[in-house]
Amino acid sequence: MTGMSIRSKLRRSWPGYVFLTPWLIGFFLLSIFPILASLYLAFTDYDAVNAPVWVGFENFQYMFEFDYRFWQSLKVTFLFVILSVPAKLIFALIVAMLLDKGIRAVGWYRALFYLPSILGGSIAVAILWRQLFNADGVINSALAVFGIQGPYWLSDPNYSLYTLVVLAIWQFGSPMLIFLAGLRAIPQDLYEAAEIDAATPSRKFFAITVPMLAPVIFFNLVLQMIEAFKSFSGAFIISGGTGAPLDSLLFFTVYLFNEAFSYFRMGYASALGWVLLVIIAAFTAIAFWTSKYWVHYENERG
Amino acid sequence: MSTFNRRKFLGTAAAAAGSAAILSATGTSAFAQDRRIRHFWWGNPERDKRTFEVIRLFNEKNPGIVVAGETLGSADYFTRLTTQIAGRNMADAIQMGYGVMFEYINRGAILPLDEYIGKSLDISQIDESALSAGRVDGKLYALSIGANSHVSLYNTRLFDAAGISFDPFGWTYDDLKRVAGEVTKATGVFGTDDNTADYQNFSDYVHQRGERLFDDEGNFGASAETIADYFAIWADLRAAGATPPGQVSAGLVGAELSNWGIVTGQTAISYAWSNQMVGVQNLMQDKVGAAMFPNTPEMIPGSIIQPSQFICLSRDTVDAEAATTYMSAFVNDPEMTAVLGLERGIPANAQVRAALQPKLTEIEATSVAFFDGIQGKTMNLAPPPPSGAQEIEAMFERVAVAVLLDQAPIPDVANQIRREAEGIRRRAR
Amino acid sequence: MTDVTSNRLADLTAVSAQLRADRAVRAKRAAMLKHVFLIAASFVMIYPLLWMVASSLKPNNEIFGQLGLIPSDPQWSNYTSGWNALPVSFTNFFWNSAVVTVLSVIGNVISCSFAAYAFARLEFSGKTIWFALMMMTLMIPYHVVLIPQYLTFLQLGWVNTYLPLVVPRFLASDAFFIFLMIQFFRQLPRELDEAAMIDGCSPFKIYWAIILPLSLPAMTTAAIFSFIWTWEDFLGPLVYLNDIKDYTVPLALRMFLSQDSVSEFGQMFAMSVLSILPIILFFVIFQRFIIRGIAMSGMK
Repeated sequence: MTGMSIRSKLRRSWPGYVFLTPWLIGFFLLSIFPILASLYLAFTDYDAVNAPVWVGFENFQYMFEFDYRFWQSLKVTFLFVILSVPAKLIFALIVAMLLDKGIRAVGWYRALFYLPSILGGSIAVAILWRQLFNADGVINSALAVFGIQGPYWLSDPNYSLYTLVVLAIWQFGSPMLIFLAGLRAIPQDLYEAAEIDAATPSRKFFAITVPMLAPVIFFNLVLQMIEAFKSFSGAFIISGGTGAPLDSLLFFTVYLFNEAFSYFRMGYASALGWVLLVIIAAFTAIAFWTSKYWVHYENERG
Repeated sequence: MSTFNRRKFLGTAAAAAGSAAILSATGTSAFAQDRRIRHFWWGNPERDKRTFEVIRLFNEKNPGIVVAGETLGSADYFTRLTTQIAGRNMADAIQMGYGVMFEYINRGAILPLDEYIGKSLDISQIDESALSAGRVDGKLYALSIGANSHVSLYNTRLFDAAGISFDPFGWTYDDLKRVAGEVTKATGVFGTDDNTADYQNFSDYVHQRGERLFDDEGNFGASAETIADYFAIWADLRAAGATPPGQVSAGLVGAELSNWGIVTGQTAISYAWSNQMVGVQNLMQDKVGAAMFPNTPEMIPGSIIQPSQFICLSRDTVDAEAATTYMSAFVNDPEMTAVLGLERGIPANAQVRAALQPKLTEIEATSVAFFDGIQGKTMNLAPPPPSGAQEIEAMFERVAVAVLLDQAPIPDVANQIRREAEGIRRRAR
Repeated sequence: MTDVTSNRLADLTAVSAQLRADRAVRAKRAAMLKHVFLIAASFVMIYPLLWMVASSLKPNNEIFGQLGLIPSDPQWSNYTSGWNALPVSFTNFFWNSAVVTVLSVIGNVISCSFAAYAFARLEFSGKTIWFALMMMTLMIPYHVVLIPQYLTFLQLGWVNTYLPLVVPRFLASDAFFIFLMIQFFRQLPRELDEAAMIDGCSPFKIYWAIILPLSLPAMTTAAIFSFIWTWEDFLGPLVYLNDIKDYTVPLALRMFLSQDSVSEFGQMFAMSVLSILPIILFFVIFQRFIIRGIAMSGMK
């Protein structure tokens, strides 16, 4: 009996494993050791110069009991995720829908709207950001035209995080493009049918677009959330690598990077990394669990 | 075809374009029996060109040894270095900065040079002060490749317009208040950058007050009173309108020099390391002048002359003798040092300095004149900073911002700095 | 066919003609509004590029003192001198970047679509666990695995070659793309596979002849991201490439900046402008493949 079922299992499984082979090779050859090693290092005192020394849960104990900057970095990161992810997704979806239909020269628009995301990785733009948001920079000069005295966007801890959120939203290019690809995958005849039924645009949106786009919305939600939790470059560049002013931009990964590469605490940084991993995994798991109720896939319909 | 290996195929898709000089400098033309060493530094286009030229000269003069140059911008240097240390794969000769170098020495990433002195390594012409800066526990770990000191850089056009006269080598904080006020009044440009959260200026002030930044046990030595007084000096200047508003200055703590007040034209004085003078001048149209940091009326020296950069022997060296031969030539060889010039700072070899004198640019001459001016007015180099010193510097700049933003009373911030410094030292032990 | 039905047909045609006309008017008005909005937004989007181009034409001592965009005396020489400012010319860096990027795009699209097909359309035991592990590689902070990863590649003898940058791409190392493709593959009607299976198609045939062609938008999106992210990546090249001849463009750009000496900002901006041209070009050419899945709606 068991022999039969194993054989049938094998017969059923082998095409899947064939297609998974490249990933499996990569995972076992290149990924699994670094992941396990970082887990091990989380329980050690390791300065990257000398061999790691096992310290048990000391790193975690210090983190939770004494390290107020750890808690600060969690606070900053959560705020960033909560503020930037929904706004960025909504913005990306609106623009994608505008670009999806009826506009000539749409290719150039698309490139334009993608531009901030392309430039976001450039060191040149890091310099620009500072110039834009300086006290007497371009933004405040523009506001002054309307008689508004702009705040100190980057050097006032009350504003700095919001400035960064705005910059993150501004780089909505990749979720936008994914939404666009998703919209293109919705069969057009559904809309034509609705048109004949004289459905309102909002009805079409909620009855056709949202359900059909749900897998893509889900993807963008999960990925943007993960990326936001791991967000590094923007805060690192704008704060000069430190999370300044007054730790208002102390993103979790910025703190982690400094512990690892500035202060010789690779072990502690690994512990930080695994705490972040657990947090992200928990939120992702929640997202997957709720997706049962709102994301339906074509190939799983009865 | 045997030489057409994987490394060549994937590694150098580039060979088509590089000039022959660079190819030999990066080591491509080596023979199998050559002793190969690597030199890793942080640079910029100018420094990279000069250093590769030096490597080419060395390789030409020393058949049998092939040096390969590796370079990155300073922002990325330590990320790669840390990775290579962990992999036991560091270059043979590495560049280090004063301060962070001692962390690497304490942890054993850098080897002492003593056994090569008089053999492959010649230090007979090097200033004793430069040598002592590279010593820990009586062992020599590093060769200075350029001396450095704190400098106040001022915009000469604005100073002339305001008719300022002051002694650049003996001015006090009261003078600074007067000068900055006059400049602000006459030109409408803020008199000075706000150094409330500048650790370099702070450390000068601590010594000027007769205290030490770290005592013999490595404890943080600045008293709460001194910290508070330091903040008060700048609070006065700020209140008098001689600096930009605190919130503006808060955004400039630790900023790159392109953001400094003197460069953007927002202020008339910015504070720097002397080897940054050339870089600042390059970004400005007005001429730059140089003065020491201000002092107290007692004029106790607080500034130091310290190497800006060192060349060190890494623990991963594959051929220490070849590496030290190269390091020796790097600081002594007349042709090689002539190519390097003042680009990394003032050389520690007296003969080299004399040889460079006639060929200086205007701003380089200003920096050499500044160095002549500060002789005898600086303090002796303190013992190497203890582990955690780097982190204390960053902590100071982080916490002091609360003063700039008026978020906490000065005495509270002073006490917090002392507490945090103690915590960092405990953790570093 | 009776009269009644033909009448009703005529009615319907009239109604639908009216509907179409109404739609045309509404569409025109909406399009106008959209254009105004898009043009305004476009300026916000394009400003950084304008600023970069403007700065690339300024001499060093003008970039930070003045806010205006127009350079007093355009320094076109920043482009020529910047090209050769580093010890190795930018011809090298662009070529290196092109090699790494093209290989990475090919690797990503092939290997990730393989894995995604397995996860999205095939049943096999252990699927849930593998999927969870794959998602985990996406969540771990990069800096924590940087050193262990370096040690792995050092063991393999791959450091100072392009192998650490390219080989993982052929082994589906980037879970982002796998997950992206999974989401699109799962959207395709299941009847497709079933019909093909009944016709005797193997899973490989289905992957190649049905799933891939129908997923052109997703594949294009993945290729575009893959291109941009590889082109802009600097942490990988930073750690794995020692030899300046092997550097990629982003790494070279960072060599212009110096904290303790002269930074050549004008040249850096000039080369930055050139460095984004390939990305924009790739984007504009390939984004047109994000098209409607005509074939699919016909099949339903």
